[in-house]
Amino acid sequence: MIFEGKYYNGQSSKGMPAQITLLADGLRIDYCADEVTGSVHWELAGMHPSEFNDATTLLRYGKFPQQSISVVDKGFKEALLQQYRGAAFLKSGYNSVLSLGFSGIAIMALSLLGLLVAFLIWGVPALADRVAMHFPESYERALGEQLYTKMLQGYQVNDKKTAALNAYLSELNTDLDYPITAAVVTSDEVNAFAIPGGYVVVYEGILDKMEHHEELAALMGHELAHIRNRHSLRAMTRSLSYYMLASVLFGDVSGVAAVLVDNASTLRNLEYSRTLELEADREGLELLRRNELNEQGAILLMERLQSGSELEMLAFVSTHPNTGDRIKVLNELIAETKRPAKEKPELERYWEQLKGE
Amino acid sequence: MACVIFLINFSPYFQTFMTTTLLEKEKQTTHFSFTGRGSEYFAIEIVNIVLTIVTLGLYYPWAKAKSLQYLYRKTELAGTPFVFHGTGKEMFIGFIKGLGVFLVLYAILIYGFISEDPGTLLIAYGVFLLGLLAILPLALHGMMRYRTSRTSWRGIHLGYRGELSDMYSTYLIGFFLTILTLGIYGSWFVVKLRKQMIDNVRFGNVRLRYVGDGGDLFLIHVKGYFLSVFTLGIYLFWYTKNLLHFYVNNIVVLQEDGTYSRLQCQVSGWDVLKLTVGNILIVIFTLGLGIPLTTTRTMSLIMNNTVMSGQFDADALVQTEEAYDSATYESMSDMMDIGVI
Repeated sequence: MIFEGKYYNGQSSKGMPAQITLLADGLRIDYCADEVTGSVHWELAGMHPSEFNDATTLLRYGKFPQQSISVVDKGFKEALLQQYRGAAFLKSGYNSVLSLGFSGIAIMALSLLGLLVAFLIWGVPALADRVAMHFPESYERALGEQLYTKMLQGYQVNDKKTAALNAYLSELNTDLDYPITAAVVTSDEVNAFAIPGGYVVVYEGILDKMEHHEELAALMGHELAHIRNRHSLRAMTRSLSYYMLASVLFGDVSGVAAVLVDNASTLRNLEYSRTLELEADREGLELLRRNELNEQGAILLMERLQSGSELEMLAFVSTHPNTGDRIKVLNELIAETKRPAKEKPELERYWEQLKGE
Repeated sequence: MACVIFLINFSPYFQTFMTTTLLEKEKQTTHFSFTGRGSEYFAIEIVNIVLTIVTLGLYYPWAKAKSLQYLYRKTELAGTPFVFHGTGKEMFIGFIKGLGVFLVLYAILIYGFISEDPGTLLIAYGVFLLGLLAILPLALHGMMRYRTSRTSWRGIHLGYRGELSDMYSTYLIGFFLTILTLGIYGSWFVVKLRKQMIDNVRFGNVRLRYVGDGGDLFLIHVKGYFLSVFTLGIYLFWYTKNLLHFYVNNIVVLQEDGTYSRLQCQVSGWDVLKLTVGNILIVIFTLGLGIPLTTTRTMSLIMNNTVMSGQFDADALVQTEEAYDSATYESMSDMMDIGVI
């Protein structure tokens, strides 16, 4: 079979009209330009892979400077494929994908998109959780200590109440591997939070609202559950991994993307912390049981929070689940195991100290 | 400002010189074109992404090589496509070396942070910045050498004859002058750098010249800035068009017999607006998966609206390059995303 094309000899950009013959062991190219005529033989092994050809087929041969031919004839491509089936210069994984057509490529693209979305929704949190759970305890404690000192800087610590709270906690059977460090800070805010590594900060505002020490025990149970299950550490690794992923994908400087993802991960964390809060509620109740305290303390605590300044409207988007829902769940749990509660004079004593002005 | 006006007055010199000689011979137009299709490039990039993910990123240099091979193959001058000869292996080696340099620099910076000592941090930061400053000219130089040597058209390779020391002096002097003049010199710096890069390109026996003037670029920036502010950003598209014209239209192609032609980009502000808005919509509605389509759209617009005007004899190019290899710098600049050409 003979095809018409142009031959470039690698020395000049002049395209010489040429006749290309497909032989069993390669191509023969007879060119003729002005007074120059000649013939070259291209062995199959010396031909370079030729991808992405269209109506024009471009073939290159040999070492630098490469010779090349260009043939504007669709039949040439087909003739090559027929004559040299399986030859190295015709192999191309990409060309075979290109020949899949529109639907094949669309399916590939959609499944890739699906995989990426699945990885973002399930893969990243699962990986982050694993990392957080395997985080060495000493590091966690060091990190917690830093956060704890930083947070306390903005507050005034009530030393007397802090001592009483720590005494109260040491009397309590907490079933926690970490040494617990708690502080009571002067603030009207009704709040308390747990910091990784066994640190707890309680606001005076919430203590003032309480009337029974079982409520305090319930609150401590809740906060210590956050610590035991590394809830904040897990939340932190999650948002950190989303942040890192974003900076890898969009390049470090792209502040917009970082902000976008930051917001997105906060929204996801809402869902995340709702389930975690319920988990902490449940484990907090465990603490009351273990210490044979009145489980109603947990309910009372919730009711105090509900009657307080917390706006029901805001509770919908807040990180804590709806208080009414929490009370419902707790009531169901308490109903399951009806047990008598014991008096705990030791705890009562520290509680008095905490409440005393 | 006196200094600025003084420099602007220089620019017509080149233009009058060019046009007077150009009038003597008949002008002819040689076309660039881009024949790539969004769907094809999309398919190639999908394969690239899958393989890059599966190999945890190791495939990236090969993916990059494939994309470039496709884009070059579909870019034509006078009806003949360009060929990109770079391979994944070459780029991989460059990628690893570049990565090594960056890891060392970042390790120094992180060490500074961990030490929690302000003095150490300051020194580490200084070393980091100096390191970046020292690498950039090397990366630019390497990228020019690599990209040009790996590009051919009708079998004729491009080449880069610039000296690394010249690149360093141009870069460092320009950098410090830009800082000293609080950024005003930046326009002249960019032009100097372009001259250094483009004037040293050989296309066989054809040479390139960059004849743009820093003053013109400065005016484009000033005008672009103020008009963009006044028009609430709408002028940005025309600003981009002006920059594109400044970068492309000031390239002169000189042939050995003394004839020459000029690149002419005919993209309008409207075109840039349509392209940009379209690209943004594509990226948003395909969740970023459509980025390859935006690349082919951009290439089509620019290439199909660019011509070489003057005397260009497509048959008269002669091979002048020798074989060359080292991919180190290509990927380094790629990592920093300097995007020169």
